[in-house]
Amino acid sequence: MKEQDPVVFVIDDDRMIRDGLQSLIKSVGLRVETFASAPEFLAAKRPDGPSCLVLDVRMPGLSGLELQLKLSEDSTRIPIIFITGHGDIPMSVRAMKEGAQEFLTKPVRGQDLLDAIQKAIASDRVLRKERLEMQEIRGRFDSLTPREKEVLDLVVAGLLNKQIADQLGMSELTVKTHRARVMEKTQADSLAHLVRMAEKLKAPLRK
Amino acid sequence: MEMDHALSRRTVASYALAILLVSLALAVSLALRSSFSNPFWFFFSAAVILSTWFGRNGAGWLAVAGSTTAVMYYFTPPIHSFSVEERHLPIFFTFVACEVGVSQLISWRRRTEEEIRQARDELEVKVAARTAELKNANDALLKQIAEQRRTEETLQTTRAELARAARITTIGELTASIAHEVNQPLAAVVANADACVAWLSREAPDLVEARAAAERATQGATRASEVIARIRSLITKVTPEKSRLQINGIIEQTAALVDGQALKNRVSLKLGLSRDLPLVLGDSIQLQQVVLNLLMNGIEAMSSVTDRPRTLILRSESQPGGQIRVAVQDSGIGLSEEVMNRLFEPFFTTRSKGMGMGLSISRSIVEAHGGRLWAESNGSGGATFQFTLPVGDGRAA
Repeated sequence: MKEQDPVVFVIDDDRMIRDGLQSLIKSVGLRVETFASAPEFLAAKRPDGPSCLVLDVRMPGLSGLELQLKLSEDSTRIPIIFITGHGDIPMSVRAMKEGAQEFLTKPVRGQDLLDAIQKAIASDRVLRKERLEMQEIRGRFDSLTPREKEVLDLVVAGLLNKQIADQLGMSELTVKTHRARVMEKTQADSLAHLVRMAEKLKAPLRK
Repeated sequence: MEMDHALSRRTVASYALAILLVSLALAVSLALRSSFSNPFWFFFSAAVILSTWFGRNGAGWLAVAGSTTAVMYYFTPPIHSFSVEERHLPIFFTFVACEVGVSQLISWRRRTEEEIRQARDELEVKVAARTAELKNANDALLKQIAEQRRTEETLQTTRAELARAARITTIGELTASIAHEVNQPLAAVVANADACVAWLSREAPDLVEARAAAERATQGATRASEVIARIRSLITKVTPEKSRLQINGIIEQTAALVDGQALKNRVSLKLGLSRDLPLVLGDSIQLQQVVLNLLMNGIEAMSSVTDRPRTLILRSESQPGGQIRVAVQDSGIGLSEEVMNRLFEPFFTTRSKGMGMGLSISRSIVEAHGGRLWAESNGSGGATFQFTLPVGDGRAA
């Protein structure tokens, strides 16, 4: 599957700044989409591909920080580069805690912004890859039958076939068959691989 | 004691004078007896008159007694005896009566004269006293006037300082907004300039894009300088200087200043300005201060409004009687009667951060321009603040 071109979203209520940033980002060959407000951005259909958000903290209506909060509530994961007029520390701390990629003060030096954008896109790429991987693993695990899932849980818990057979009230041979089906469906190379995948799937649930 | 002494000495002197004068009259009369018949009438009368005039009543009486005795002894037969012949009695008594009459007449004249002099002296004292009183009152008045003038000067200085303080406070509240106003175009300049350089640095420079970016950078710089000019005209300390000015220009300039603040508070600012208004005579900075104050108050009054649009309408219109009216209408929380009554008092505020000086200073500015500033509740909620200014056609100072 060929990856889509990265997109940079710029949200700023000032048209002149918006145009400037768009031109700057376009000049290094990146795709840019601009929005005058946070709601406009939320309403737009966003292409599926690595992306990042360049966001003015101070905007009428929904502010940059409010948008960040809303995105994280919707579990939309996208790296955010904040631009602020007055880099006040509590605000930047709050933004960074919420997972802001970068916090730049206005007026931003072009190269600083471009560097931050490249870094943000790279990290989004990694994130997206992980997310895709997770999705694939989840898909594989979801294809297991309830019986196979029971066997999987006990295998991952470190039980021997004999113990599993005892616990589930089936023959050791049946356990072996189920186990082989699990390894095949999840495309696990080894027991260790299977355990790693199972752990990964559980991780977000723990959070 | 002293006075008694002086009095008695004076009495003795007056009696001595009487005796001297009578003796003199006697001597002259005796000397002239051979030449004239009965010359004593004249000389003794003169002695009595002079004695009474200069020696008062007692001396007068003494002179009368002395003269009578002398006439009885020397001039009425029998001569050289203290008796009078029967046939000379009428003339003798006539003489005595004349002397007594003259003495009393002179004494009465003398008393009257003295009374008049005393009255005059008293009057002079009274006049002097009254004059002194008047002078004191006058001095006190002059002092009061000087003091009042000093107080007025202090008041004026204080008022000017207060106005400036309020201006600075308002600016303090606006600082964030202004910083944003200046920084915003600068950010645009930097972004566009960087973009321009980036387009030119490409292997195949894109001149169309570069030019567009450069033009945007220029626009941004122009906008920044405009913002700075507006701020400078707002905060520069100048002595009030009245000139003929177009009120609409002031309204537009001030509205541009609060644009950012209005946007931030989701307030839509609408201008309904009558064109072709006559000029007014005024201090542009002070009037700008008034408009700014009313606009900021309007925005503030709508900060808690959520059930209707936040609209701030600014109107200007010409009125009969050579007046121009400027009205700022908000759709805010409105004015309760209590607030309405105290609105223009110094240090009265409904805000936690407010100083309560804005409206009171605004009113004094408008009144100093010969106008009026007042507030009204809108029927539909919110309030309208309005002021009038006389048209500056030379009639109003």
